[in-house]
Amino acid sequence: MRLHGKSVLVTGAARGLGRAAAVACATEGADLTLLDICADLPGVPYPLGTPGQLEHTAALCREAGAAVLTTTADIRDLRAVREAVTRAEDRFGRIDVAVNNAGIAAPSGKPVHEIDEDEWSLMIDVDLSGAWRVIREVGKAMSARRAGSIVNVASTAGLVGYRHFAAYVAAKHAVVGLTKAAALDYAPTKVRVNAVCPGSVRDDAGAEGRMLAEIARALEVPVHEHEKTFTEAQPMNALIEPEDVAAAIVFLASDESRQITGSVLTVDGGFSIR
Amino acid sequence: MSGPLQPAARCHAVRVRSDRSQAPAAAPGLWTEDVPVPATDPLAERRREAELARPAQDIRRVLLRYADGVADLIVVAPRDRWDRTALGRLTAGDSVAPRTDHDASDAPATPPAPAPAWGLADGGPTVPHLFSLTDGGDEATWLAALAVTLRRYDPESTPVIGTDHGSLTVEEAPTLGELRPSPAEGPALVGLLFDEAEVPGAYVPCLAPPFPLTVSVFKDTDGWRLRCDHLGTHVSTQMAAQFTQHLVRVHQHILSAPQTRVHDVELLDEAERDRVAALGRPPRRLVTTQLSLPEAFARITAATPHRIALTDGGAGLTYRELDERATLLAHGLRERGVESGDRVGVCLERTAELVVSLLAVLKTGAAYVPVDPAYPADRIAHTARDAGLGVVITRLPEFPDVPGCVPVTPDDLLDATPKLRDTVTLPTVAPETAAYVIYTSGSTGRPKGVEVPHRNVVALIDATRDEYGLGGSDVWTWFHSSAFDFSVWEIWGCLLTGGRLVVVPYFVSREPDSFRDLLLSEKVTVLSQTPSAFGQLLALDHTRVGVRLVVFGGEPLDARMLLPWFDRHPESVCRVVNMFGITETTVHVTEQTLTRKLALAATRSVGHALPGWHLYVTDDAGRLLPPGVAGEICVGGAGVALGYLGQAELTLRRFVPDPFTGGVMYRSGDLGRLRPDGRLEHLGRIDSQVKIRGFRIELDEIRTVLLEDPDVRTAAVTVRRDDPADAATAGIHAYVVLAGGDPSTIRKRAAGILPDHMLPATITALDALPLTANGKLDTARLPAPVTPVAPTRDAAPATDDDLTDRLLEIWTEVLGRPVGLDDDFFELGGNSLFAVRIGAALRARGLPSLRLRELYRHPTIRETARSLTSSNS
Repeated sequence: MRLHGKSVLVTGAARGLGRAAAVACATEGADLTLLDICADLPGVPYPLGTPGQLEHTAALCREAGAAVLTTTADIRDLRAVREAVTRAEDRFGRIDVAVNNAGIAAPSGKPVHEIDEDEWSLMIDVDLSGAWRVIREVGKAMSARRAGSIVNVASTAGLVGYRHFAAYVAAKHAVVGLTKAAALDYAPTKVRVNAVCPGSVRDDAGAEGRMLAEIARALEVPVHEHEKTFTEAQPMNALIEPEDVAAAIVFLASDESRQITGSVLTVDGGFSIR
Repeated sequence: MSGPLQPAARCHAVRVRSDRSQAPAAAPGLWTEDVPVPATDPLAERRREAELARPAQDIRRVLLRYADGVADLIVVAPRDRWDRTALGRLTAGDSVAPRTDHDASDAPATPPAPAPAWGLADGGPTVPHLFSLTDGGDEATWLAALAVTLRRYDPESTPVIGTDHGSLTVEEAPTLGELRPSPAEGPALVGLLFDEAEVPGAYVPCLAPPFPLTVSVFKDTDGWRLRCDHLGTHVSTQMAAQFTQHLVRVHQHILSAPQTRVHDVELLDEAERDRVAALGRPPRRLVTTQLSLPEAFARITAATPHRIALTDGGAGLTYRELDERATLLAHGLRERGVESGDRVGVCLERTAELVVSLLAVLKTGAAYVPVDPAYPADRIAHTARDAGLGVVITRLPEFPDVPGCVPVTPDDLLDATPKLRDTVTLPTVAPETAAYVIYTSGSTGRPKGVEVPHRNVVALIDATRDEYGLGGSDVWTWFHSSAFDFSVWEIWGCLLTGGRLVVVPYFVSREPDSFRDLLLSEKVTVLSQTPSAFGQLLALDHTRVGVRLVVFGGEPLDARMLLPWFDRHPESVCRVVNMFGITETTVHVTEQTLTRKLALAATRSVGHALPGWHLYVTDDAGRLLPPGVAGEICVGGAGVALGYLGQAELTLRRFVPDPFTGGVMYRSGDLGRLRPDGRLEHLGRIDSQVKIRGFRIELDEIRTVLLEDPDVRTAAVTVRRDDPADAATAGIHAYVVLAGGDPSTIRKRAAGILPDHMLPATITALDALPLTANGKLDTARLPAPVTPVAPTRDAAPATDDDLTDRLLEIWTEVLGRPVGLDDDFFELGGNSLFAVRIGAALRARGLPSLRLRELYRHPTIRETARSLTSSNS
């Protein structure tokens, strides 16, 4: 097992990519701290994870053999993040791996000059600053132990632009920048920081993910049409499955990637080649 | 305690099983988890193990509730603040205040103990070993048992045993009962956690070993237990288990028979002795026939009379021609009065004629005594006298005058034969009589003659023929002097398997490019070489060399040197075999096929014994040592020689009864260890260990470190005394052949690995290392160490930095010459003695002391000043 004995924190773990990543880590022998906001967020036009969904992820991880701690926190709140990290450290002694997965894709779907101050701030606060807050709280102990891996889930929106997604694209580009800068900060202490940039991930009933649907809604196009557009835009001619992204996360979490830091691993079926 | 410890090494844990209904209710500070499988499920087992391996800052209580109504309460806490009794109370739900008088978290850091050689550490996974004990003894008895066992495993080091209350050692004493612990300093390889409190539940004394090898003795519901935890970087799982078994055995001795003399304690019981003895026997069995060399040769000749047996320059001899010429010569020897059981000297250059002569001697029933004509006259005379030679076949114009010894040329012998051929028949030769006597130089005293019988050589060929596919299509080189027993392998290995033997003239053997050309032109398939000679071949373009088998012998092989060979000659095309051997056991003893992978890993294994040969490793009392532990290599079986010619007393001392087969085994004086898979590691001569200023130093170890430097192609390490009468002037000097770089960079890198007392005082670069006539390193011909001398410059002007000025003053005084701020200490002739004087001068002026290691790293005044300033601040 590639993550045997490691303690992994996953944010946004109630469903979707977070759930897939958590279960993949559990299958590889990790113990898990699952963090989710478990509440809707004013300004985000779609429902976020729920306590039931978070418990379901926990049950799937336990079936895979993991010890699991669930914790509810809003990553916009530094104190809440700190408390969650402390709880995880009490339970598991340390955090070996942090997967910064929590994020939102909307409010979006409008030209940059139509985004209002609150919408812009919300996106930056969750997608960029949320990742920074987690790094801030886990990085010190990792550095002291001279071991640890941080995986930031960015997006192809961290590499290229998308029309009418200025705030999201800006936040995800910034996550890639944060990854590189943090990687340099921690390199002397062997703590690694990498980013994964998924392309369009299929909304998976099992993982209850719904990002694609929300993006389609923001763009006011039918989901199946949106899926088709993205499938055609990805040269391998298929949508990404959550497990594909989870596999990349497991790799970056594991010691197999011990010399990889500051890297950006795209899982996009070739979308960003061109 | 060697702290500060990792949290897991500070923590202990206990697990108490209960019915779910009796399990504690959810409470603050209790992590309750439902595990969706029954308690017996492997997944549940994994969960328990994970909790029992998870360290806690303070107390962690976890309740695992399984699907079948069973529950496990697991409590983890740091050992130094909640002891075993407190842990027991915590499982009962009591709250227990931590001890504060003894907090190991802020213990001063001590350097970790280095990995012991016997640990055979592979960095692999570690598994704790658990034993049940009938009697737990007390802490003192376990300390004594640990000290006795450690001394047996490594007689050279003083055992330091770590405990939760400091490091201890146990002074040597005559009997087990008199062994007493006393405080000790230094890093502890082994630790003891002893606790006699009886607390219910399954106990884990440490979640990670606080010492590389941690032995915990404690009591649980089922009685006394011993658990051994270890670090994979220090001790392999197998060696940890073995050590623990021996420890338990020694401890039983201490309890049951304290009057036993410490020296008499047996580490191994009878079953293990048998097992270890069997380990030294190879997996393949020997099938051999009792034949003399002439008989074995006659069989090959009868089968393939017209095949070429011998190539010498342009000339060739078929098997029949070789046989006929040898028979003629044998008749000539008989006419000179040579009888069965005699010894006949053969002192000829490496030519076809020499092989004819050797075979002729054997046909008369006498043993041949090869004498290298290149040897000095007094050595030749010593051999002739010592072997009692009546006849010597030689073409030396002035063979030394030895009473009773008549030099004859092959021509003399042939001239005499026609009249005799019909009247004298050649005798039948008994396989158990001596075939040859070869003189080994030995590290001390005069060379001694080793008598080797026919059957041993036949067994050697039988042991290797099938494995290496030796046969009629092979072409062998005969590279080595007939006075070096590697030639026995070359000559008879070829001729008894029907191959063609190519004579390598002396001058060709000394010129690597000529030799390489000969390998190509003669289409040689089997090449036997010393590693030193092979190294010279590797320095040339060897791409087109088409050999299918390379056999190394004669001296230790550094496997890494083979990488350039494997680059051009894949293992599937050419097999490379290292054979460790001893003249007294008939050329070879072990075989290790080398691969690129093993070469990369710099294997020290010389492999398993040859079929029919067997290996033992014994301590100085002649007792078998367990695998991993270094001792004297003893060799029994088919290769053991008859003894030393004319030296009954020495023969009795070195050729001793083999307690396992009833035969004879040879005590080699070589140091080695048997690996758990039966492969031997050869560790050099027992007497190659030297003591310098009280430190016992293994020169091979220094050599190995130098060879690890990518810029070093080959290396030799010697000890020299500047003043032969004064041991204090002894210094280690290294010689290297460089692939790049220069000695000063190599010295700097070596300083990063070797302890101060093992750092060579000088490193001298040579174009090639001098070799003996046998192709081994010739230490006597190494030049005096070169202390590179920098051009004299003007002394540096005084600076405004006080420390730098004082350093300048001291260096100038000690080195006795002007010194610039950026002059390299070693290039100015500095050595370790000067370094000591500089250190003393610094102390005398109240300045921070300077270690030799620092000087290696910062060999100029400017760098030294910077280093002293920064380490001071």
